[in-house]
Amino acid sequence: MTFVTVAIILTIVFIVLIVDARDRMRGAETAKLEASARIFRAFEDRRERDQLATTAILAETPTLKAAFDTYITEARLGSSDDRLQAQQTVTRELEKLAAVTSANVLAILDNERRVFASAGTARQQWPPDEQVTLLARGSTTFQTVAVVDAGAFRVSGAPLRLDNRDIGTLVLGTSLDNAYAEVLASLSGANIVITVDDRVVARTVPERVTRDLVAAGEPGNTLRLDGEEYAVRTLFASGPVHIYSLTSIDAAARDATREAMKALATVALGGFVLAAFGSLWLARTITDPIKRVAGDIATMTAARDFGRTLEVGGTSRELDALATAFNELMGGLMAAEAETQSAYLGAIGALAAALDARDPYTAGHSERVSDYSVLIARHMHLSEAEIDVIRLGALLHDIGKIGVADHILRKPGPLSADEFEQIRRHPGLGARILRKVPFLEPHLAIVELHHERPDGKGYPFGLLADNIPLDARIVHVADAFDAMTSARAYRPARAASAALAELQRYAGTQFDPASVQALREALAQSSSAPEHQLQALLGREASA
Amino acid sequence: MNVRGVRTLVVAVCLAGLAGAGGTGSTAQQGASIRGRVEIGIPVTARRPSSAYTTRAVGQSVLAPVSELRHVVIFLKNAPSAPTRPRVVEIRQRDENFIPRVVAVPVGSEVQFPNDDPIYHNVFSLSRVKTFNLGRFPRGESKSVRVTKPGVVKVFCEIHSHMTATIMVFDHPWFAMVDEDGRFELANVPPGQREITAWHERLGDTTVPLRVESGRTTEADFVLPVPAR
Repeated sequence: MTFVTVAIILTIVFIVLIVDARDRMRGAETAKLEASARIFRAFEDRRERDQLATTAILAETPTLKAAFDTYITEARLGSSDDRLQAQQTVTRELEKLAAVTSANVLAILDNERRVFASAGTARQQWPPDEQVTLLARGSTTFQTVAVVDAGAFRVSGAPLRLDNRDIGTLVLGTSLDNAYAEVLASLSGANIVITVDDRVVARTVPERVTRDLVAAGEPGNTLRLDGEEYAVRTLFASGPVHIYSLTSIDAAARDATREAMKALATVALGGFVLAAFGSLWLARTITDPIKRVAGDIATMTAARDFGRTLEVGGTSRELDALATAFNELMGGLMAAEAETQSAYLGAIGALAAALDARDPYTAGHSERVSDYSVLIARHMHLSEAEIDVIRLGALLHDIGKIGVADHILRKPGPLSADEFEQIRRHPGLGARILRKVPFLEPHLAIVELHHERPDGKGYPFGLLADNIPLDARIVHVADAFDAMTSARAYRPARAASAALAELQRYAGTQFDPASVQALREALAQSSSAPEHQLQALLGREASA
Repeated sequence: MNVRGVRTLVVAVCLAGLAGAGGTGSTAQQGASIRGRVEIGIPVTARRPSSAYTTRAVGQSVLAPVSELRHVVIFLKNAPSAPTRPRVVEIRQRDENFIPRVVAVPVGSEVQFPNDDPIYHNVFSLSRVKTFNLGRFPRGESKSVRVTKPGVVKVFCEIHSHMTATIMVFDHPWFAMVDEDGRFELANVPPGQREITAWHERLGDTTVPLRVESGRTTEADFVLPVPAR
């Protein structure tokens, strides 16, 4: 359960993170672009100032101006037939100057803004006579964008001025190309796209992205480009030239989410490990001992074996205290039960003694019947609990005779039918007496049914064979055996063998055959006779 | 805006059926002459800042700016070569300027460059007809060059890049600088069909054909810059 709870919490946290990360990233990336705009401004300002100063100084180069003006004048007067030579002279001067600047191109334009000569790494894009479009021009030094056929440049310009006229313009240009975009991108930490007339001249993002950017027209703050959300900012816009900076919000969000996921995963892993260890520890210390104690109690309850004690000395003091208390409780219970049992036995013994006190002939009869019954039951391998029930039940089987009148009970001669009728009441009477005592309930069957016969001619109910409980059948046989082997007022005792023969003759009708057989066999095993009366019995037989 | 709107050319009517024929190569002592006037047709802007950075402590000229008319040269184009007595002219360096800015001399003349400024100047030229570099010389000193070929010599100062002067060298005598009123006169022009050019560094130049008659004075007026039609 712990795991499930933790997993749910983690899932919720993750979802919240995802949703939040995007918004946060949008704000962060937009702010980053603003910072990039400031960096661009600073970078460009610095660069422009440097270039402007350089341009101004270079435009003052006397030999440069002299060469250019000389050529112009000679061409005008028609006296120069070697334009190429003049151009080369000027170009050479430019090349010397280009070597000391960081600009991509150094060029001289005539008054119609056609290239007269150029030098520098980008001079191929400024060939002679190329028409250059300057988006702005000033009377002194100026900054603007120059557009040639092959690309766009950020230029600083200065007029080549002789004291009464301008003969041309000197420009220092930085190519707006991928190299420039790379520098800008690495400085600002964002991506850069440069377009001229909506044509991409430089980019640090894939072409798919720029295609969407150009198609979008005037970009707002965020755009969907190539399936991802970008924050876009216009760094520079002059005429046909635009410089944009952009960053992918999605990419940033993914990065942030990935970082958070890693952290979450680490926390989750740690949490799980901790939970696992915690569970193990808990189990070892508390759960297993509790289960063991519960199991012991259950076993004891099932087996009704309250003599066992719970194991003490486990991992928990609390459990130990619990087990000890339980053991003491059980000890108390056991003592109480023992007392109850002895009281119980005492009560039964008192009842039996009460019966014996009435009739000397009956004295000892209950005890002997009890012994014989136990003998039979043991021979039949009944359980100790059943043997106990039989032992005590047999002891009380004739308790109902208390309700039989003395003169009938002690009559020496045969009984009349009426008197028999009285006698025949004693099972029911005994049952009625004992029914009042709940803990004697197991013995009721013996007391009430010990005169039933398998053939159904018994009393009081006339039950048939298996309808008679086994313990009643056993006691019946034991009762009859003792009656025959006891001396009565109207006849002497019979020998055991004769009694057994008699029992055998009527087994199946009057007596339960299994009980009879058990008695025979039990008596035959004379060596295993625990009841002291049996010894006396065997001794009597010998003398009879 | 140009009042005249159209180039004005007053040409005195040549005598019909002229004496002609022998016009060429005539060595008529009377000779023809061309006279005229040049007018500047646009307002000349005041002097512009001369450099991208503030000029140094040489004082600005307190003189009135020289009229651009003085910088117009009138000459016969494709004139035949004729020996002309050389002259000596000077182009001074004053207040970081060449004064005068334009001179016209015949072949063989000497041009002197006295330095009136308290600073160095280094006069040089890259022109095909005369390339020179006079080096640095201080105030009070002067160097000179002799021009020996016809053409245009553009003169600069290697220290002050805005300084410029022009020397037009002719191998014939038929050239003139225009005066303050814009007037000029070319004397002893060989008669015949001629071309005459009015030239200014900045305002442009124009060439018109002219028939010159011996003993006559032909009028030619110019407006510079040439108005657009």
